[in-house]
Amino acid sequence: MAKFNFNTDISSEELNKSPLRQLWRHFKANHVALVGLWLFIALTILATLAPVIAPYGVNQQHTDALLLPPSWDDVGDVRFILGTDDLGRDILSRLINGTTYTFGLAILTALITTLLGVVLGVFAGMSKGVRSSILNHMLDVTLSIPSLLLAIIIIALLGPGLLNTVWAIILALLPQYIHSVRNLVVQELSKDYIVAQWLDGANSWHILSRGIFPNIYEHIVVIFTMSLSTAILDISALGFLKLGAQPPTAEWGAILSENLAFIYLAPWTVALPGILLFFAVLSTNLVGDGLRSALKKRKAI
Amino acid sequence: MALEYIFRRIILLCFMLLLLSIFTFSLSFLFPGDPLTNLSGIQDISFHESDALSEKYKLDQSIPKQFISFITRVAQGDWGISFASQKPIFEHIVALFPATLELALYALLASIVFGIPAGIISAAYYEKWPDKIINTLTLLGYSTPVFWLALLMIMFFCLQLGLLPMSGRVSLLYEIPDITGFILIDILLSDVSYKFNAFIDAIKHLLLPTIVLSTYPTMVLIRFTRDSMLEVLEQNYIKTARAKGLSRSQLIFRHALRNALLPVIKQIGLQFSSLITLAMITEVIFSWPGIGRWLIDSIYQRDFPAIQGGLLAVSTFIILATVTADLIHSVFDPIIRNQTHGKI
Repeated sequence: MAKFNFNTDISSEELNKSPLRQLWRHFKANHVALVGLWLFIALTILATLAPVIAPYGVNQQHTDALLLPPSWDDVGDVRFILGTDDLGRDILSRLINGTTYTFGLAILTALITTLLGVVLGVFAGMSKGVRSSILNHMLDVTLSIPSLLLAIIIIALLGPGLLNTVWAIILALLPQYIHSVRNLVVQELSKDYIVAQWLDGANSWHILSRGIFPNIYEHIVVIFTMSLSTAILDISALGFLKLGAQPPTAEWGAILSENLAFIYLAPWTVALPGILLFFAVLSTNLVGDGLRSALKKRKAI
Repeated sequence: MALEYIFRRIILLCFMLLLLSIFTFSLSFLFPGDPLTNLSGIQDISFHESDALSEKYKLDQSIPKQFISFITRVAQGDWGISFASQKPIFEHIVALFPATLELALYALLASIVFGIPAGIISAAYYEKWPDKIINTLTLLGYSTPVFWLALLMIMFFCLQLGLLPMSGRVSLLYEIPDITGFILIDILLSDVSYKFNAFIDAIKHLLLPTIVLSTYPTMVLIRFTRDSMLEVLEQNYIKTARAKGLSRSQLIFRHALRNALLPVIKQIGLQFSSLITLAMITEVIFSWPGIGRWLIDSIYQRDFPAIQGGLLAVSTFIILATVTADLIHSVFDPIIRNQTHGKI
């Protein structure tokens, strides 16, 4: 039982550090998660600086180089490292710019969802009686409709488009978010130290800001990573279904569906955006998983 | 006690269905265009038709009366007609839903067959190499976008190797009469001479979509089974059993497994919601004639009555599946029946 370990040197030294430093130590020990974090940071930099880094413009056409394979192929050209598409656009530049749309917008979406979700979730968690019961049943109904389907319905209302996709995904992710935050708040509310604060005469705001929030924000970060990976997948899936970003926007899902007709002639135009998409989601999941297990390990000490 | 629990669940079910139908009903006002057109599916309504239709849809009366008439029509199977095909939407749904259901059921079956044992193995060898391998695979599976996986499969198995067909349910060579809508059952029921060949062909068509569709639910089930198993293995009665000298396999199979699999039953029911969504994408890629592809097409065509009907059918199905799984769960697990007082 590690819980009752008071006297070993390592754990006492460990306990002297701040919770956040302890968390970082556990996270650092997990090398795979660290690689995920580096990948995540690299993608974030790519998303913010895309137009500067990309060698060519997004829609710049090179009529002398149509459907060129990547440069390591025999007929490839070193000017276009990852080849070109059917309109002679450099695939590397398009993919780099796509980071802004798919990854950057997904981060934005997840951040807005976090803001709304935390406010509403805390409200749901703190309310009692009929109000909370009605809210929960409403959540139940929306939870039973899958997020992508919900997003598709909202897009059917608003019409296709990249910005509408963002709204749709925010609305579709919210119920799940509210539900998770509500559970965290309810769990924390039932603990003794909160009851002690109530008895000391603290008001709701005080309990929330001093008692509950410092104890749940790390878990909120974990929920954030989960909704971020869903957001990336949903934005690209909607782009792929031609309901989200419309060509010539360089969103990864849209690039993929645009090049679908050339799957036989130019398989790299389909494979490459998918690989990037895969790495974006993988890095997010790695960070989220690493954080979760680090939280669990810190609790076990 | 059990009856009370079932009663409460059924009340909840009715409440959810009521909210869903209110939402669907309000869609015909939220969608662009004339509510009468959106409700009936008839475009270019002439002046004298308009009066009769308003009468039928009770548009001249109060909103609650319109809603009651909407519910009555839904119950009678009068869901309006589609803009695109000018055929009743209910007919479309009855014809298309079995195809989606068939695909989803096989995928669910595959994910149960692979997911649960993998989860158990992973928990039994916690933090040893089988656990690490399974964990890595789950993480990779979680991170793969379903449409990209489908395209990779098509590139490899259909275009590169030419082993499997890439679209449809059965080769056009075989004509199978439509009885139940489930292609495999239809082939078995039909009395055609090429029964065996058609069956093999249908299985070949099914293989790739089923693999693609089952990936995500399999990953979810692996994780869930593993976590649930690890939680049970931490409990005191397991420690007691271990102290008594039971072997590892005895512990897992006799004591831990039953309790660990209880929450998994509920989780299986919850999978329908992600299955149906992913089925929409899978159907589009593999040209599978199901309700998902039809719904996406309806959105392209701005076919509002069809979107409305499709949403109603799909969501009702998901809600029913969730509540059924919940009830089955409560039959096996008496503890859950006692603690549910308006909680989720």
